[in-house]
Amino acid sequence: MKRKKIPMFLRFFALIPLLLLGGCNTEHFWLFNPKGPVAAANLYYMVVDVVIMSIVIVPTVIFTIWVISRYRASKKAHHDPKFSHSNGLEVLVWGIPIIIVGVLAFFSYEGTHAVNPWNPTVITKNPKYADTKPLEVDVVTTDWQWMFIYPKQHIAVANELVIPVHTPVHFRLTSTSVTNNFYIPQLVGQVYVMPGMRSKQSLVATHTGEYHGFSAALSGGGFSWMDFKTKAVSEADFNAWVEKVKQQGRRLAYPKFAAFAKPTVNLAGKVHYFSDVQPGLFAEVIKNVRDGKLQYATPMFLTENMDSKEFKQHSN
Amino acid sequence: MLVDLQGPWNPIFGRLGLLLEVHYNNPIIFFAFMMVVIGGTAALSWVTFTGRWGWLWREWLTTVDHKKLGIMYILVGLVMMLRGFVDALMMRTQQAMAVGPDSPGVLGAAHGYLPPYHFDQVFTAHGMIMILLAATPILVGFMNLIMPIQIGARDMAYPYLNALGLWLTVAAASLVMIALFVGDFSHAGWVGLTPLTELPYSPGVGVDYYLWSIQIGSIGTTIGAVNLIATIIKMRAPGMTWGRLPIFTWTTLASNIIALTSFPVLGVALALLTLDRYIGTHFFTADLGGNLMMYTNLFWIWGHPEVYFVVIPAFGFLSEIIPTFSEKPLFGYVTMVLASMAIAGVSWTVWLHHFFTMGASPGVNSYFSIATMLVGIPTGVKVFNWAFTMWRGKLRFPTPMLWAIGSLFLLITGGMTGMMLAVPAINYLVHNSVFVIAHFHNMFLLIVYAAFGATVYWWPKVFGFKLDEYWGKVFFWLFTAGTLFVFVPMYTLGFMGMTRRLDYIPHTSWEPLLLLEVIGTGFYLLSILAFVIQLGVSIYNREKNRVVASDAWGTSRSVEWMTHTPPPFYNFAVTPVIHARDEWAWRREHGLTNLMPEKFLDIHMPKNTAVPLIISFFTLVCGFALVWRIWWLAAATFAAIIIAMIIRSFDKDTDYIIPAAEVERMEKEIVARAEGRIPAGEPAPVGGGAGGAYASKRTPTQRRDND
Amino acid sequence: MSSHDNAPVDPNTVELWDYEDHGHDFIGTRTLGFWLYMMSDAMIFAALFAAHGVYVRNFAGSFTSQEVVHPMNAIWPTVFILSSVMTYGLGMVALKKGNKSGVVNALILSFLLGVGFLLMEWREFSELAAMGAIPQMSGFLSDFWTIVIAHAAHVLFGLIWMAVMIVQVAVNGFDQNNVYRLLNLKIFWHFQAVIWVSIFTFVYLFGAI
Repeated sequence: MKRKKIPMFLRFFALIPLLLLGGCNTEHFWLFNPKGPVAAANLYYMVVDVVIMSIVIVPTVIFTIWVISRYRASKKAHHDPKFSHSNGLEVLVWGIPIIIVGVLAFFSYEGTHAVNPWNPTVITKNPKYADTKPLEVDVVTTDWQWMFIYPKQHIAVANELVIPVHTPVHFRLTSTSVTNNFYIPQLVGQVYVMPGMRSKQSLVATHTGEYHGFSAALSGGGFSWMDFKTKAVSEADFNAWVEKVKQQGRRLAYPKFAAFAKPTVNLAGKVHYFSDVQPGLFAEVIKNVRDGKLQYATPMFLTENMDSKEFKQHSN
Repeated sequence: MLVDLQGPWNPIFGRLGLLLEVHYNNPIIFFAFMMVVIGGTAALSWVTFTGRWGWLWREWLTTVDHKKLGIMYILVGLVMMLRGFVDALMMRTQQAMAVGPDSPGVLGAAHGYLPPYHFDQVFTAHGMIMILLAATPILVGFMNLIMPIQIGARDMAYPYLNALGLWLTVAAASLVMIALFVGDFSHAGWVGLTPLTELPYSPGVGVDYYLWSIQIGSIGTTIGAVNLIATIIKMRAPGMTWGRLPIFTWTTLASNIIALTSFPVLGVALALLTLDRYIGTHFFTADLGGNLMMYTNLFWIWGHPEVYFVVIPAFGFLSEIIPTFSEKPLFGYVTMVLASMAIAGVSWTVWLHHFFTMGASPGVNSYFSIATMLVGIPTGVKVFNWAFTMWRGKLRFPTPMLWAIGSLFLLITGGMTGMMLAVPAINYLVHNSVFVIAHFHNMFLLIVYAAFGATVYWWPKVFGFKLDEYWGKVFFWLFTAGTLFVFVPMYTLGFMGMTRRLDYIPHTSWEPLLLLEVIGTGFYLLSILAFVIQLGVSIYNREKNRVVASDAWGTSRSVEWMTHTPPPFYNFAVTPVIHARDEWAWRREHGLTNLMPEKFLDIHMPKNTAVPLIISFFTLVCGFALVWRIWWLAAATFAAIIIAMIIRSFDKDTDYIIPAAEVERMEKEIVARAEGRIPAGEPAPVGGGAGGAYASKRTPTQRRDND
Repeated sequence: MSSHDNAPVDPNTVELWDYEDHGHDFIGTRTLGFWLYMMSDAMIFAALFAAHGVYVRNFAGSFTSQEVVHPMNAIWPTVFILSSVMTYGLGMVALKKGNKSGVVNALILSFLLGVGFLLMEWREFSELAAMGAIPQMSGFLSDFWTIVIAHAAHVLFGLIWMAVMIVQVAVNGFDQNNVYRLLNLKIFWHFQAVIWVSIFTFVYLFGAI
């Protein structure tokens, strides 16, 4: 692929101003440590963008600083009090930004298609994943929890996402209450999770490990605690895990889901397993939200006092 | 009632019964309340004991003088900026305290000291106040203050509407301040995310406060925009052709065209949301045919132009300050004008970049991405032009120039990160992250820097003495330290994956940088102190720093430096004739700096009126009544507004004539004072002086015979 | 292109101050401001029509637009509002001639036709409410009620203004203030008619298809 041409060490170019701070461990820079092709493509375009812009910004900054130091009144440099126009310079000041924006526009267009949540070409056009059977996961956010439904496996997990590595995972996402934002920084960028609507996202994890996933859009009082661990495991481990959930979990049909969707702040980060999931649950949730049948009002003073009895009823 | 409300409602008091359920034991709110009570009492006693009520009423509350209205706009903006800054302090300390599951919590919070209920209100209020009630009034204030003098006008086209615009802004600010103590404020972010702002998810009165205060403020801004545009088109002095218009006036025009066309869209977005909340329609609900992204679209169709509404005048400040202290004309005037207009035009075509992550098709996202990048072209042109203005100049660095240079570098960094955000492939990673927060604060700080620069630059023109340079520099460097310590770590946290609006920080690796940000806010706090000291020292030493020349800096270029310092309430005794683009520089070059005309003419001036104040008071009460759903009071005050307008329409005694002889007397007195023939301790001059107040003891000496 | 004129200047003859009283273009300034206001009002309806495009099919299982929107219902109001504009225009002709009673009579006729328009809208929407097609039923109905009532609110304010102007002209005659107000009201009254024509076309006619 084309993007291989730029050496990977350049990714740290964007880090240079940050290194000045010193002492920062790059391991915590999730955006610079992608563990899947989608996040890696995002980073690639960031590096390209910064490098191209630096071609003009670095000289501009140097020129400005030079002007400021060269032409201070005390230096008695050449003073031209009439100079206010030059056709050559006008062409330059309009020309350079136009060229730079033109180049950036090309990369923007390319990048938008590469990581398009509905059809990311870094995955779908990648021969490496052409033969792999993708995993499907339906994501439903509630106030303020995550439900991951694996429709083919007939299992569901709340507040934890387990995926096999080197396998494309296709998500369909919706919400029961307000808009959330599905985000796993090291694997995939953000996409809105909206009530009554369905959005899509795809990712592949290339390294086993545990990654942070969370909602990146304010959704009310329990928003800060609305995160989930994403575990990327090997194919065998994944199958074993599915079997385990099938054994442990309780049955999940729509009424049970509606009860789960009550406003709940997941303070303790609890994970729930469900097996024998009702087929078509995802579609039924969307339909009920659209008809106004699945809707919980938030109690007015719910999060004013987190020691109150009312809050305890709505948290775990 | 048309909708299901949580909590009590009755026909007389509306939802005010809710107040019985609000917890007033929160020490933070109590402290804020005490501060307001003490501050308010102190101010009122000062006015009473020095016997200034009459003065306040005549000179300020009922004035229609564009300069005084401008000063009051800026004052309101600064007060609200302080309030917004206190909100920022609370956000920074809460986030630094609430890191990791083991962090303790007090005052009902699980971590830190602000539970989500309060934290969410704090950041919502911070965003909404800083943009709509701090940045906007300060910039509109400068437009009011400077632009009419820059085009050689006596006043704005509609002085009465000008006062109405100011007092409506004050009403909006008051409503937000009332929300601090009576009930709660919105919890849903300053953008009012639907459906979070719908009644089921925001059952309190907070969102209603948010909706009505913005609605009132935006009516004020729209009125102001009509006025400013009409003034530029109709009130220019002879010879002030479009090609000679000072660049700040051009930017005022560009940004008010944006305001005029974009604020109504905000009005519609908020009105539809209001209907959802008050009568239960289904515009932005998830159910029954609502479309929640429609709100987001409408909001940002206003929101993005609004960003340029505030940034373009800041560019205008830079274009006035930099040439003055480079002793050169602005490089590329025509380009500068085109660039401002281009930014204003393109601002309408980019709104979707605020929600690339909605999941729109790559075609749509690419289009908005490229449109957004186009903004970078005129902005880049402006940066080059300022650099070439300084090139071969004779640069001096008093505080206005320092602020201008700081602003220039902030524009470069903010522009670069903005171009990154314009690329959807990058945006997917950093949308809603603190990287975005750092980016737009970077851009807003550019405006703040430019506005502080403008304050120091035009201060002597308005008040007749310069601000203290030493404390000004202390203020600048402390403020810059704050900027670096808060926003460099914030950019860094963005790369670490931290998202915005988190009440609780789950990842301890973010803690060191959050602590750095707290140190940064400490620098900001010190800088505010330095600013207060600067003002105090300058006022104390005002005789030493007195400016009597019309041109305070000696190298200024545009028309506002061609009238007395401070300008008399009629601006120019005789309207100037304009010969060149930088008229004052042109006159200086040709030795035509005598300000005394050969003869004087009658001057036609508008009379003071209390009607705008009264209308705005009713608007404030109406807004409060609507927030608490006290229908009878809302209806009564709304009727009162209409009646006040009708009564005003029958008032024919709205203006007066100053006879030529009296103008001559005032002009001579101003010159005598400038030449030191009247001791400085004497009472304020008849004709001008905002420091000692524009003593417009003007009784109408002659009825205007206009009909 | 220098920013300064290169022509030599004689300091003794150059005109620095404008000693001629050009007068203030009072009416022109007021009318310009009103045009600017109209532009922002036009943006309100632009946003509402954009919203109409979004909600036009969001029936949510409730009434469809064919059941609710009847262009025949809107024809008589259209005739009334356009006649009102025409009679207002006749008033403007009378203003040019300085005919005070002509202006007052035209304004009264125009006012009555406007009231007739509002009464007919009132009847249409009472019928809708009686059959249960209230704005709370669906996104489409919310939008339909809002856009039509937003226009009706403009008509109402125009009528209040017109009533005030009838009194103003009767009391004060054609002074500068009244002339610019009559001209601005003319702009406003034409504007709301243009909006009504758009509503008739895009909401009523297209809605019935």
